Amino acid sequence: MFKKKIAWLFAVSFIFNLGIINSATAVSEIRIGHIGPTTGWATIFGEGVLNGINLALEEYNYEFNGVPIKVFSEDTKADVEVMRTKLDSLKNRDKVHLIIGPSLGHEGMAAVDWGARNPEVPMLIGYSAPEDITMRNATFSVIRPGWTGAQVIFNFGQFCAKDLGYKKVIIVGQDYSYPWDQAAGFIRGFLENGGEKVERIWHPVEAVDFSSIMAKLMGMAKEYDAVLNNSGGAQVVAFFKQWKQFGLDKIYPQILGQANVPIVPMLTELGDSALGVYSSLHYYDGNPSEANQKFRESFNKKYGHYPDVISVQGYDAVHVAFKAMKAIDGQVDDPQKFITALRQVKMSADESPRGPFYFDKYANPVQNIYIKKVVKKDGRLMNEAVKTYQNVSQFGPYADMADKYMAAPATTRDYPPGDKASYFKEIEKYFGKDYVEKLEKNKGWVD
Amino acid sequence: MRLSRLQKICLTLITMGVLIAIPWMTSDYFVMMSIRVMYFGMLTMSLCFLASELGLVSLMQAGFFGVAGYFVAILHTRYHLPFPLPPLVGVTVAVVFAGLTGLLVIRARGIYFLMLTLVLGQLVWALASQWASMTRGDTGIHGIYAPVLFGISTEESNIAFYFFTLVFFIGAACFLVILKRSPFGLMLRGVRDSDTRMAMLGYPVALLRYFAFVFAAFVAGLGGIFFTYFTGLINPHSVSLTNNVETLMAAILGGVNTLAGAVLGTGILKTLDVVLSGVTKRYLLIMGVMFLFVIMFAPEGIVGTMKKHLSLPLYRIAVRFGFIRKRASSTPAATERQFYQTESKRR
Repeated sequence: MFKKKIAWLFAVSFIFNLGIINSATAVSEIRIGHIGPTTGWATIFGEGVLNGINLALEEYNYEFNGVPIKVFSEDTKADVEVMRTKLDSLKNRDKVHLIIGPSLGHEGMAAVDWGARNPEVPMLIGYSAPEDITMRNATFSVIRPGWTGAQVIFNFGQFCAKDLGYKKVIIVGQDYSYPWDQAAGFIRGFLENGGEKVERIWHPVEAVDFSSIMAKLMGMAKEYDAVLNNSGGAQVVAFFKQWKQFGLDKIYPQILGQANVPIVPMLTELGDSALGVYSSLHYYDGNPSEANQKFRESFNKKYGHYPDVISVQGYDAVHVAFKAMKAIDGQVDDPQKFITALRQVKMSADESPRGPFYFDKYANPVQNIYIKKVVKKDGRLMNEAVKTYQNVSQFGPYADMADKYMAAPATTRDYPPGDKASYFKEIEKYFGKDYVEKLEKNKGWVD
Repeated sequence: MRLSRLQKICLTLITMGVLIAIPWMTSDYFVMMSIRVMYFGMLTMSLCFLASELGLVSLMQAGFFGVAGYFVAILHTRYHLPFPLPPLVGVTVAVVFAGLTGLLVIRARGIYFLMLTLVLGQLVWALASQWASMTRGDTGIHGIYAPVLFGISTEESNIAFYFFTLVFFIGAACFLVILKRSPFGLMLRGVRDSDTRMAMLGYPVALLRYFAFVFAAFVAGLGGIFFTYFTGLINPHSVSLTNNVETLMAAILGGVNTLAGAVLGTGILKTLDVVLSGVTKRYLLIMGVMFLFVIMFAPEGIVGTMKKHLSLPLYRIAVRFGFIRKRASSTPAATERQFYQTESKRR
């Protein structure tokens, strides 16, 4: 009888052990899906992230603890209906353990919606910047090792008002959500720190002839101190060219740029006309840190050109994933465990080209924001940091009243208002009288 | 090729059987692709209906598709209306919108019709992308969940959604087929071939076109409803020129003159999109070359060409194996003779 019991005990414990061993080595291959636009007008965003992913995986020799890693890349064509189908393909057909991407704003919003319906697939958002991905629509399985549009520009508004001493600024930008959000973030930082007025001029997304706008800017020069270019791609190139042709560079000081106006591929297009442009971002290419230098050089060796912030996003996503996998000993087939580990990852300055960051409770990084200026170094145009704001969350200066921030109306082309009086009326309504009084007492935000 | 009544019923039953069996015979993935083909198929069918019956190519069908979708999205997420209301209102608004825009475009033909519908289609797009307080701009509206029908959530079960769509898809297809075969359809074809003659004969040409336009919009709107429910979101891309042109491409690929062509073209285009892109990054090139071949060698589309080249061999095979009885008058000339003989007898 006793023998029998012992035999049973052994048998049970043996099976139990098998289970443990099995769960540790259950994964014979780690499958990572990438999703993003790799054809069409937005190719650079999808390709950039993918290049970053491949570069990082190469550092690990495409394996984790001897388990091979396979990447499945799908093209969204910048269309969310296609993207949803491909997310389903990655999940059902390729059975991926992790999805990295997408890269565009509207794609990100659709991806988080998909994530809420498929909570068993961990997703690391690529370059998408709408704040609602990790705010009002945040969901447990979606983590963004990237940025939000407003996060990187709050402090730029502050910088322009306090350090550059501007009072009135004109924003010229493309007429769609991303530039609207950039303008909104800038307005908050600018008006709350002593700025008086921000005028917004919107032009059609595809416009390349700015002569009427240039004439307008010329007329407005008496009243306004500076111009912020709030476009992307070909529109920036055209804007800078006509800026010079109309002689506006002699009337205004250097152009201000929204977050990704002077990113690396743009600098080669703009040439010397980009010199002196101020902007802000969570990464700058001139960062002397070891991690960044290593990243830049190995990227250049592999792809033949220097990387931009888009590739940093893919590169960091893979490193975040590896850190999480190390924490859970490679059990990527347990999504809840994997997601929890991903959200707890803390990256140090030696690990990420952008500097240290960790995730807030909505899974958006708290990271350094750099005010950068375009300079020429060794014959090459580069962004140098002129000021660093440390540990900025996606709520910027409103970190301790996140709920109030999220309750305020969504950004549109003319919300929030651009003149000081009506803007302050709005923040009093949503953030309370105390906040306004505090602002007035401190003359803006406390660094 | 004429089939007897019994054979027709058999064929229909077999087709229905296959369509119903799809969820159990194939993978979840295939079911998902079928749903996509069905809702985009409705959009393409509406375009093909106008193109074949009126000879007019519209570049705003996606507008009706999107208007219905946007209304569902807004009523669902902003006003939280219970299920049957948002889609009902959505389709109604799409039809009313067609009723209004129809007044503007219906007298134009050829390239002018194309231009007018292009402008109106872009207008819808501009509204969707600029009226951000209502449509949330380029971010689009999210968080739309498919309804619960007869106690089954079509949101959670793709199979349930498949049948939900299938019923309406078949309904829409039947609706268009019946329209095509009705006296109304005949009158439309008369208008297409010679509107002056039809006008002279006393037919209300403009009114006929107007109704055809509205009916087509109804089917497109229906597609938009399922699109919105299945994807759970809508953004300006669904009403963009790209979507309109892709619909037109699907129609040309399958064959503009038949509804079957519309569905087949959509199926091929939407499937290749997903399958080829997994294989190579240059899949658009392959699709472009394929499209070029279709235009060069099969300008009537796949279904049109199959009809032309395969109907006679198929007919012969069918006759040989006794599926259909050979008729005395199998050649067109003989048919014509027979027709005149019966006509003269009747007189």
